[in-house]
Amino acid sequence: MRRATAEGRRVSIERDGGDVVISTGRLTRLLEHEPGDLTCIVEAGMRLSELQERLGRQGQILMLDPPGDPTIGACLAAGLSGPRRHRYGAVRDLVLGVTVVLGDGTVAHSGGRVVKNVAGYDLGKLFCGSRGRLGLIAAVALRLHPRPVAERTLSVSAADAEEAQRLAQRALRSQLVPSALDLLWPGRLLLLFEGGERAVAAQLRTAQASLSGREEDASAWHELAERQAAARGRVWFDPGRLAEFLAETPEAVVRVTAGNAYVPQVVEHAWPPLAERVRAEFDAGGVLVA
Amino acid sequence: MGLDRVRLALEGALRPEQLIREPAELRTYECDGLTAHRVVPGLVVLAESTADVQAAVRACNEESVPFVARGAGTGLSGGAVPVADGIVISLARMKRVLEVDIDAQRVTLQPGVTNLEITAAVAAQGLYYAPDPSSQQVCTIGGNVAENAGGAHCLKYGFTANHVTGLKMVLPDGELAELGGKALDPDGPDLLGVLVGSEGTLGIATEITVRVIRRPEVVRTLLAAFDSTDAAGGAVSAIIARGILPSAIEMMDKLMVEAVEQAVDAGYPQAGALLLVDLDGPAIQVEDDAVAVEEICRANGASELRSARSDVERALFWKGRKAAFAAMGRISPSYYVQDGVVPRTKLPAVLRRIRELEREHGLRVGNVFHAGDGNLHPLVCYDDAVPGQAEQAQHLAKAILEACVDAGGSLTGEHGIGLDKACEMPLLFSEADLATMQRLRHSIDPKGLSNPGKVFPTPRLCGEVPGPYRMHPLEKAGLAQRL
Repeated sequence: MRRATAEGRRVSIERDGGDVVISTGRLTRLLEHEPGDLTCIVEAGMRLSELQERLGRQGQILMLDPPGDPTIGACLAAGLSGPRRHRYGAVRDLVLGVTVVLGDGTVAHSGGRVVKNVAGYDLGKLFCGSRGRLGLIAAVALRLHPRPVAERTLSVSAADAEEAQRLAQRALRSQLVPSALDLLWPGRLLLLFEGGERAVAAQLRTAQASLSGREEDASAWHELAERQAAARGRVWFDPGRLAEFLAETPEAVVRVTAGNAYVPQVVEHAWPPLAERVRAEFDAGGVLVA
Repeated sequence: MGLDRVRLALEGALRPEQLIREPAELRTYECDGLTAHRVVPGLVVLAESTADVQAAVRACNEESVPFVARGAGTGLSGGAVPVADGIVISLARMKRVLEVDIDAQRVTLQPGVTNLEITAAVAAQGLYYAPDPSSQQVCTIGGNVAENAGGAHCLKYGFTANHVTGLKMVLPDGELAELGGKALDPDGPDLLGVLVGSEGTLGIATEITVRVIRRPEVVRTLLAAFDSTDAAGGAVSAIIARGILPSAIEMMDKLMVEAVEQAVDAGYPQAGALLLVDLDGPAIQVEDDAVAVEEICRANGASELRSARSDVERALFWKGRKAAFAAMGRISPSYYVQDGVVPRTKLPAVLRRIRELEREHGLRVGNVFHAGDGNLHPLVCYDDAVPGQAEQAQHLAKAILEACVDAGGSLTGEHGIGLDKACEMPLLFSEADLATMQRLRHSIDPKGLSNPGKVFPTPRLCGEVPGPYRMHPLEKAGLAQRL
């Protein structure tokens, strides 16, 4: 980064576009995994699947399930998430700390490796969704969860927008605690229940009694992942007005409670002015390519 | 003088009763919950609307006069301590609940609404606002946003930052920024996540949208008595290792239990350490978890195990824990509350170190902590009447903090850096780290008027930068280096 700045060259991270392309392909180590603390520190170039495999050996998991097999750095930079976002939050809710490298070569850390920490500004959150325009994410400290023992899926048909909203509201007003509540639109609502065997079976029974539907296996989520991966844009809606949103949306993978959805068409979004101010300060030299 | 012109400008913009000018009245705003630091402000503005806040901030911006926002003033790190010759902008009068949207599970509030009032607004619908700092009856959501407040149940439910979905923010130049809303995961860098917890240094939130969640089907509260904090800590580790995520795990040591029993008579058993565990969720999951937790406690030497059989009994179990800080006043003339974090696995070692420090300094320390996330609140007891003891207590408190950082933890789990720990920031962050954070601050507050002197060390506040720099774990791992 320092050299590029000195030579007046532009840098792109993990993608084409710059005079210099920086890859995190060799930053792939799991630096630390402390099962007793439910935390780990990982280099940004590690693939999600590999991290999950390593964590799984200790009965733990990162509750992040975007489609494909992105690197951890990509998950942060692009703000990637999947169905489990409903219960466990987006990547920014799972980041405890980061090490970043700015366009002028400054290396900075924020946060730490503890779950509870309010010291200083949360640069980790700032870099979530920053798309390589604020700097390079080199390493990330993450909050982990115990790996659920059992996992079962309920699929409920939604004939139209009104029914979809009715079903979703019924689920939300119940005592069900799904890990995921997505709508494959048009079509069906998918609920994922995870936890102990007995508890998951009970949740599934309760859900079926209240919503009808039938049990499906994990392939339902593969289908959803494929649809989400194929989507070229993201849109937002008021989570209390699902039916209204669906009435004007021909096709989408809908994250019902988050109020966002993945749609086939490309949708452009500009950063808010405040974000541009921050970017101008962080990359005063204009080294980083969007 | 700048302050005089600010006063003049606001006399024109606001009603007279919205401005406090009398010295005697100004003194009521001289400190927050950290009473050791007091500064009388030049003026206090009682804002009643976003426009009022903007007027005040614009006037300050014109004259380069610093300003400090204030909610209920219950903060414990001096975040709301005024700046000399600066103004205080109080949000206490902005206490309306603006919108309750049950279908979306969102509530929009003015910053002066108290934490508990949020839950009150949705309780009838079986919903609640999860972050529960101990001061929730009086602390405001605006203050919670500034500090990224947690509470006993943040182990499972997270902090304010995980519950704020939208903000209207008056920036330090008086402009209004609207971020987020009811939908989650907006595009671009997570500015909401940065603003929450920025301790009033990046502007003032005048409208806050939060998500509320459904009350769990069932809550079980267990009380377990152990001979030592080591044994109790062992139980905590085993609970986590089993894959159980309680909604709260609180621990109190012997001294705390004694203090609490004297103060509120919660009926606690005598113990070297007491564990209070809350499990919540669907009935069957909680049932299974409770059985496992009891088994684990017994396996780790619990001498007594109680399960609350009613809401009344549960409230009694918690009564003692909630009264802990106040109870200390019964057995010690004064005490100094500290807030530190360590990785859970390092708790036993740090507690041992605290015992050592007690002996070295000749003072007693009561410990109450959120054992689930390693957030300690050591209460350092001292007698103000004994010359030098207050300073000793401060040294001891600081040494405990250093022990936390050495163990890979942090300077603060929930009280914030504020004024109190600004000088200790170099224990945790390198110059490059702090400089990068200052870049962020500078991009939003180029004139440095929004709560200056807080969070970051300044030569004026700290004199020389204290203490040797401690290597960050990632530096140790060879990943990062100081340039």
